[in-house]
Amino acid sequence: MSAIIDEPLADAAEIRSAMEFYAEQEWTDGLPVVPVTESYLNEFLSATSRGPQEVLFAVSHLNRECTVRLAAINAAMAGCRPEYFPVVVAAWDAIAKEPYPKRGIWQSTTGTAPLLIVNGPVRGRIGLNSQGNVFGSGFRANATIGRAIRLTCINVFGLQPHQLDQATQGTLAKYSACIAENEEESPWAPLHVEYGLDPADSAVTALVIRSCLHIEARHTRAPEQLALDLANTIRRTGALIHETTSALVVLGPEHAQAFAEAGWGKDDVRQAIYDRAVNSRADLVAVGKEAISRHTRWRVPADHPDAIPDRASQGATPDQVPALISPNAILVAVAGARNAGVSTVMETFGVRGDAPSSIARVEQPGR
Amino acid sequence: MTVREKLLNPTGSDAAAGGNSLAPRPASLRGLTVGLLGNTKPNAEVLLAEIAAELKSRYDIGEFRTYTKDYFGTPVKPDLLAQVVADCDMVITAVGDCGSCSAATVADGILLERAGVPAVSVVSDSFLLSARAMARVQGFPGFEFIAVHHPVASLSVDELRERVQGVLPDVLRVIGAEA
Repeated sequence: MSAIIDEPLADAAEIRSAMEFYAEQEWTDGLPVVPVTESYLNEFLSATSRGPQEVLFAVSHLNRECTVRLAAINAAMAGCRPEYFPVVVAAWDAIAKEPYPKRGIWQSTTGTAPLLIVNGPVRGRIGLNSQGNVFGSGFRANATIGRAIRLTCINVFGLQPHQLDQATQGTLAKYSACIAENEEESPWAPLHVEYGLDPADSAVTALVIRSCLHIEARHTRAPEQLALDLANTIRRTGALIHETTSALVVLGPEHAQAFAEAGWGKDDVRQAIYDRAVNSRADLVAVGKEAISRHTRWRVPADHPDAIPDRASQGATPDQVPALISPNAILVAVAGARNAGVSTVMETFGVRGDAPSSIARVEQPGR
Repeated sequence: MTVREKLLNPTGSDAAAGGNSLAPRPASLRGLTVGLLGNTKPNAEVLLAEIAAELKSRYDIGEFRTYTKDYFGTPVKPDLLAQVVADCDMVITAVGDCGSCSAATVADGILLERAGVPAVSVVSDSFLLSARAMARVQGFPGFEFIAVHHPVASLSVDELRERVQGVLPDVLRVIGAEA
């Protein structure tokens, strides 16, 4: 016989009827949402100094804008606690700085998802996971902060699948994608410090991601071998829609420390990957991606009506085609458990060649 | 302890303003300036050139002028829109063959119609739902666009010519030039 819980009592039918109402309105990602009323909303609005009508992000071609109030309603529906809300606000501030979301990437067949990386003391305050199973389930703050962004995309921006969201296949990350950096087991400065913020600041970095690829390298601590495994994953021809690609490398602490023990900093890691992420011209000819399209610079075969030569074909080594435009097309973060030689490459749609424009500070409590 | 309150609506509202009637159609295509607004997608210019060649062979068009948007995923920027509207008597815009550009191509057609210029928006038929959703978001739910058989980007010039033959009657009807 299953155990019965004495407290609390609930009117389960009434809870279900509210959740079914949201589902009937299609105000959901498919999972049940938390019913939100004005008094609960006020707890979220009290967690930020930003006014409820302030616009956090606007998509002008969709005639829609996300106010603080709408972001809070959707965060509450996603299951966030009110004290998570400053992270959600910072996430929208970061997304608003990105080049692609305002240009329609969320409608795209490519099927990307927003990924959030959280740094700083807020991680501990609200219980964000940065360690084992960092991309997996089991942590309310990670799960619901990421989901708050998705529900807002669906509800506020009208990005319903099969309608304005035309993703061919999409990605599992469209349910939720929020990680924290494992600063404590990283040998290097945290991501937000690398990009100019104070270690005592908390911050959210936003990225547009598609694929999430495992790197298994438990056999080695040689930095050149690790860099080559990462580079071979990044340069894969299937990833090359544009002339070059870009990536977030999420190193497991073991790999990060192997690099650091060899005296490598993040810039050395970036440079080594950049140097090795090169396809031969023959590799590209074999898959029909040896040229680029005149305006979009998407990869096409040389006999395509819009084809022009790629940048590499006009250089000193035309048979060697870099998959990255510069070492700065790689972001490096550290996350996961320090228990195996496992890392992840997240393929990104974003800035290819600059530092991320998309980092925003989280408002401190007791502001 | 039980307090019953109203649930909150989490959606954004469409801020769309503007009319939903088409620009007046010309009595004749004779001597008109026809704009070809490309969106940079592979084969967009080739498709537009093929449509232009068909129109030229049937009507005494004055001239064709070619324009290119700087980015396919969002609607035409105000400066370019103003220039196209000033220069042209009607416009054909292509090609909406992806998630963002199918919607943007329809938005471009609506912007042109509202500015008084008859417009033909060409999308691929895999994106009918996205194109219609954008017409609703723009406050012009019945806006008619042309759907060519998917795909477009990977076609040869001969295959594109076949696509154009297939939709030519619809193009002529939208610009009021059937007969």
